[in-house]
Amino acid sequence: MIAGALVYYQFHSWRNRLITRLRRLRRPKYLAGAIVGGVYFYFYLIRGFAFGRHGVGPPSKLPLMSGFNDLTQTLAALGFMVMLLLAWILPRSRAGLGFSEAEIAFLFPAPVSRKSLLHFKLLGSQPAILLSSLIMTLIGRGWGGGHFVIRALGWYAGMSVFNLHALGASFALTMLMDRGITTWKRRGFILAVVVAIVAGVFIWARRSLPPLPIVPHQDGFTWLLQYFGRVVESGPMPYLVHPFRLVVEPYFAVNARQFLTALGPVLCILVLEYLWVIHSNVAFEEASVEKSRKMAEMQATMRASQGRGVRRPAKAARPPFVLRSTGHPAVAVFWKNLISAGQYVSGRFWLISFCVTIAGSVMLRSQSERGDGAVGMAGLLLPVMLLAISLFSGPQLLRNDLRQDLPVADVLKMFPMPGWQIVMGEVLAPAAMLAGVQWLLIVCGVVFCPAQFDKRAIPLAMRVSVALALAVVLPFIDFIALLIPNASVLFFPAWFQLGKDSPRGFETVGQQLILMFGQLLALLLGLVPAGIAFTLLLWGGSFVGWPLLGIVMGAFAAAAILAVEAGLGIRLLGGVFERLDVSGEVL
Amino acid sequence: MDIAPPPIAEAAAAPPQIDVAGLTKLYGDFTAVNDLSFSVRAGEVIGLVGPNGAGKTTTLRCLAGIIPLTRGAVRIGGFDLAQQPIEAKRRLAFFSDEPRLFEYLTVSQHLAFVARIYGVADCQEIGRRLLEELEIADKADKLPGELSRGMKQKLAIACGLLHAPRVIFFDEPLTGLDPIGIRRMKDSILKRARDGAAILISSHLLHLLEEICSHVLILKDGRKVIDGSLAEVRDRFSEQAGGGSLETAFFRATGETKGDA
Repeated sequence: MIAGALVYYQFHSWRNRLITRLRRLRRPKYLAGAIVGGVYFYFYLIRGFAFGRHGVGPPSKLPLMSGFNDLTQTLAALGFMVMLLLAWILPRSRAGLGFSEAEIAFLFPAPVSRKSLLHFKLLGSQPAILLSSLIMTLIGRGWGGGHFVIRALGWYAGMSVFNLHALGASFALTMLMDRGITTWKRRGFILAVVVAIVAGVFIWARRSLPPLPIVPHQDGFTWLLQYFGRVVESGPMPYLVHPFRLVVEPYFAVNARQFLTALGPVLCILVLEYLWVIHSNVAFEEASVEKSRKMAEMQATMRASQGRGVRRPAKAARPPFVLRSTGHPAVAVFWKNLISAGQYVSGRFWLISFCVTIAGSVMLRSQSERGDGAVGMAGLLLPVMLLAISLFSGPQLLRNDLRQDLPVADVLKMFPMPGWQIVMGEVLAPAAMLAGVQWLLIVCGVVFCPAQFDKRAIPLAMRVSVALALAVVLPFIDFIALLIPNASVLFFPAWFQLGKDSPRGFETVGQQLILMFGQLLALLLGLVPAGIAFTLLLWGGSFVGWPLLGIVMGAFAAAAILAVEAGLGIRLLGGVFERLDVSGEVL
Repeated sequence: MDIAPPPIAEAAAAPPQIDVAGLTKLYGDFTAVNDLSFSVRAGEVIGLVGPNGAGKTTTLRCLAGIIPLTRGAVRIGGFDLAQQPIEAKRRLAFFSDEPRLFEYLTVSQHLAFVARIYGVADCQEIGRRLLEELEIADKADKLPGELSRGMKQKLAIACGLLHAPRVIFFDEPLTGLDPIGIRRMKDSILKRARDGAAILISSHLLHLLEEICSHVLILKDGRKVIDGSLAEVRDRFSEQAGGGSLETAFFRATGETKGDA
């Protein structure tokens, strides 16, 4: 009867989740996301199976795999062994099953046996394992030669073995803890065994196999693979790897008969592991409650941080400056967000980064002065590359703005501040941080740019002019680049919802793609007027014989245009923030 | 400490600090609050009661400027919330049932932040006194994650009271508090009322509201059923004058039976 109730719960939970997601598609934003996400998945994952493959795995794309099928299996078995080892080494806490808070509230006080609860969890994990198997089969379509179905079932078998083993291991570790064996003692013992085995294999290889061949350049890494193949396929290794090979063999089966033959041992392993788990007399309830609480906290933090991180701030961060109680209120928001960033990136981090950058640059400069032009160019190109990366990745990585504060938008809306001030304060912190990093890179670029390259001089005036131009224009580009995702948050707040209640599935992948391309397009459009102004002034400067002045003047003109755009953007978004109805989809 | 509502006669002479006219809030086709009008004067404590889903929290959030009204007008301290939101918000504080804090700011940083937002010049002294009054002065360097729920609520209260608001909204302020906390909260509410604040409290704890409220407004399905002084509301739904309780009045006004509650 209880088993029926648990099956009913699992089935209807999945069914209702599916229905909810299908119903959601009636809303245009999800439908658009579903279409784009569907197209993306079709082209990225499914198309390879639908056309040209006819359901049969493609020829191996990795040179590693061709001609090394047996070695591939051994490598997969070794990988599986490492995963199982980690399941014995990593856990620090008692065995706890991943129940939701509702499941704990309903099931733990109910007259449900421990065995039923275990069955419930094992049953509940099956859809996730199945889905993961399908995804891994689609992603790893070049990793094996069998039929799609065989490979999917192979993944399913391997993941099921791992799932059961990890559960059994957690129970065994709990029993060890109850017997007073500490985590570090256990880890030390396991690692000592591993080291002993590796050392044994190494000594055997040194004594029994010929020495490593000299690297023949034309063969790439083939020689190394051959040597490795000899190590793992002779001597003690085959015996050590054999149990793990049994688990991965179904995946590598090339036909149904081979698959069924390989499946037998795996089923035996599964049965043994099941008996092990069911008969492990370990109390998991208390740890499960704790785990559930931590999960709920983590999800709440994730919602609060919009997915930026799942940990609570461990300790208070130092304020970046003393906040006076009077003055422009937007500074308070700026100050708050700098503190927020300080939780994750401390002042010490910035100091170390600065020192490392300067030290590295000094080394490059000294090399360059000794006549190594390539090193000198590297000294220049590295900051340029990092600048480019910061420009595109910075606004996505630094999210201590409205993306972080959307869950507390109701608190912000109570403040006696016009919306534009809140938006400005929110965006200023990541913009200032990004600009700081970029200025540092610019200084490095100027200092370590070689005086000449390819027999052409790069005068100091040119270096300084370009650096000044970048230093002037980049903060404004950063600000615009940060305004765009913040605009997305305000215009599409529901698309930014994260955590337990957030929508999932390929429609959300589609939404993310739409947002990403939309933001990129908006940024490019925003840069067009500034780009035109810069080009005109640069051309004008060159025309009158002062190209360096043209660069600097062009940068100032571009910065002015970007500043106007930023101002307009802040005003626009401020209005949107004031009209934002946080009762709708945000909270 | 004695608990007694502020004198009604004194409050009646003061101009309304909260003036609500025809407040309507729609969510699509659903009407959460429908044509609600009432006013609260300085020193008055008005209890907002109603069954679940009556529109109490929506009303409070509209009045605090958190969510926009669909129709109607709200004046806080004489300032129109839609036309002069900054001036209106400068005079109010809203305390939600769940304390809303910034996870990465310490207790003292919260106060510094709020002081700058509201421009509280002598925030150090006021903040220190508030923290002492709320008995969290020793937690000044703690993050919200290191505080208990009650302490978080106290921090939220300290932040809300730092700028000495003349209009205070409480949404279920007694949820999760222990008996001592409830008593202190009631004292604090009455102290603010005596100091001239207009207070609107939403709660399901009718017997507690009876102790602190001078007025009551009963909502059902987003509509006002009745509002008036506590005595008026009780008398209106009581079979005998001077008899009955707010609970009886509530059940009669909303047409609920006690078994439904």
